[in-house]
Amino acid sequence: MAGRVRWTRRRVQTVTTWVVVVAWVVFYAAALATADPLPPLETAVAQLVVPPLLWVVAARLVVRHWWSEPESRTSAMDLPGRLLAAAAAALPERRHAWGRAMTAELAEVRRRSARWRFALSSVRATLWLPAAGSWPLLALVTGVAVAATTAAGPAVGAAAPGLKVFAVTFTALVGAMVVLAVARSRRPRLRLPAPAPTILVTAGVAASIAATMVFLRREPAAAEYLPPPAAMYLAAVLAGCLWVALASPRWLGTSRLAPHLGAAAAVVFAAWFWLANRTDGTEPPLPLLLVLAPVLVLAPLAVFFVPAFAAGRAGRSFRSGLQAAVWTVTAIIPLTYAVWLPEGLRRYAIDGRLLIDGEAVAPVGANLADALAFCLGILPVFGLTLAVIGAGLGARTTDRAGPNDPS
Amino acid sequence: MTRSRRPSLQTTAVVLALAEKPTAWRYGYQLCQQLGLKPGSLYPILVRLADRDLLETTWDTEVPAGRPPRHLYRLTGSGRALATELAAAAASATATRRSGPKGRPNEGWQGA
Repeated sequence: MAGRVRWTRRRVQTVTTWVVVVAWVVFYAAALATADPLPPLETAVAQLVVPPLLWVVAARLVVRHWWSEPESRTSAMDLPGRLLAAAAAALPERRHAWGRAMTAELAEVRRRSARWRFALSSVRATLWLPAAGSWPLLALVTGVAVAATTAAGPAVGAAAPGLKVFAVTFTALVGAMVVLAVARSRRPRLRLPAPAPTILVTAGVAASIAATMVFLRREPAAAEYLPPPAAMYLAAVLAGCLWVALASPRWLGTSRLAPHLGAAAAVVFAAWFWLANRTDGTEPPLPLLLVLAPVLVLAPLAVFFVPAFAAGRAGRSFRSGLQAAVWTVTAIIPLTYAVWLPEGLRRYAIDGRLLIDGEAVAPVGANLADALAFCLGILPVFGLTLAVIGAGLGARTTDRAGPNDPS
Repeated sequence: MTRSRRPSLQTTAVVLALAEKPTAWRYGYQLCQQLGLKPGSLYPILVRLADRDLLETTWDTEVPAGRPPRHLYRLTGSGRALATELAAAAASATATRRSGPKGRPNEGWQGA
């Protein structure tokens, strides 16, 4: 049809590249405009070039594999078809047939605008299909969730006032997850496809909450470093980690290897982080230093890249690698955060410095802001990017042999 | 005592449309076009009707090559009984509007 853009893989990759680059340049220019003092020239160039370079590589690999995934029938679909197929795939098991029914009807709609209208309206339907669970149980669980959320604020606020917003948000989100699980399933039950990684992430989340509580009880003034938006973000991320571990969507649970690789990488990273802080300031003998130096430098990069690469290669699919990537980040966030806060208190008690940059003038509470920025900001953004690249390269090495996800 | 709820106008329209040819199987898109309903409204109604055993569903496998099988719908026995009830209620409502209010119909319906 004249004037209609044909979305080929190459074109989508080019558009993605430009969107990432332009968005980062605009963001970085705005950040520089308000920066005081300005960073040195080499640092500014590195900050301008390296992050978008990694993101562009990762985004192009995602597009490449999404487009050419042979097990996916979406590659022959237009955008409305892909949108509806994705929404239908997210439906609970018992409602799958309805998702397929809507997708099949979309194939009968010819005009482009009508296809968009049908697809968008059907996506709305997938979000509002009647609950599969029993209504009395749903009402009971909803009641308990609302009561728990209402009680969480005063109960936690009495022990640690700075944690009140976090407690309310976290309880509300976990409650909403439980209500959703009951609504989506006729007989809700806890399935643990990978018990050890699930237990590790759950323990990490519990340890993170406990560490924050202890930190704020010992340093009540640190509450200023956990303003309501940050508290809500912390709650959302920790609830999200629990969701991945306990009720991960189908597409995350098909590779048996991925959760274990991700969990192992998280343990290695947390141990590295702890060790790096404990050995800070000590002078090991030269031979040990020569062994330790590359390990200390490469370990944080390898823990994200290697599991995703290995899972992608073993599963012969990008999706398997992506599953390992998600599990790695999900496990690393709470574990590292839970290590950070007590280590921050310990370090501050020794020499009055912060954990990450050794700043001597900042109050101890700034450790909380650092932990939030690093564990919940920098780690997921750059860790996931490295892991996606690992997944893409792992799957790519098997492409010629004919990719085939055994899951 | 079970609390009954009057079905919505859209649900009534879907049930009555399916009852026009009670033995014929109908497609979702066909119903959307006939009733001027968006799929976002139609499919939740169909799901509720099927959950209450008022609607029968099956797959049409005789589709052109490369197309997915389509879902087909028709009323069950109790669905047809509901349709009769709804048609009678609609007729009675029309009469009521002329002569004044009366009792509530659709006691067997549990809401949609």
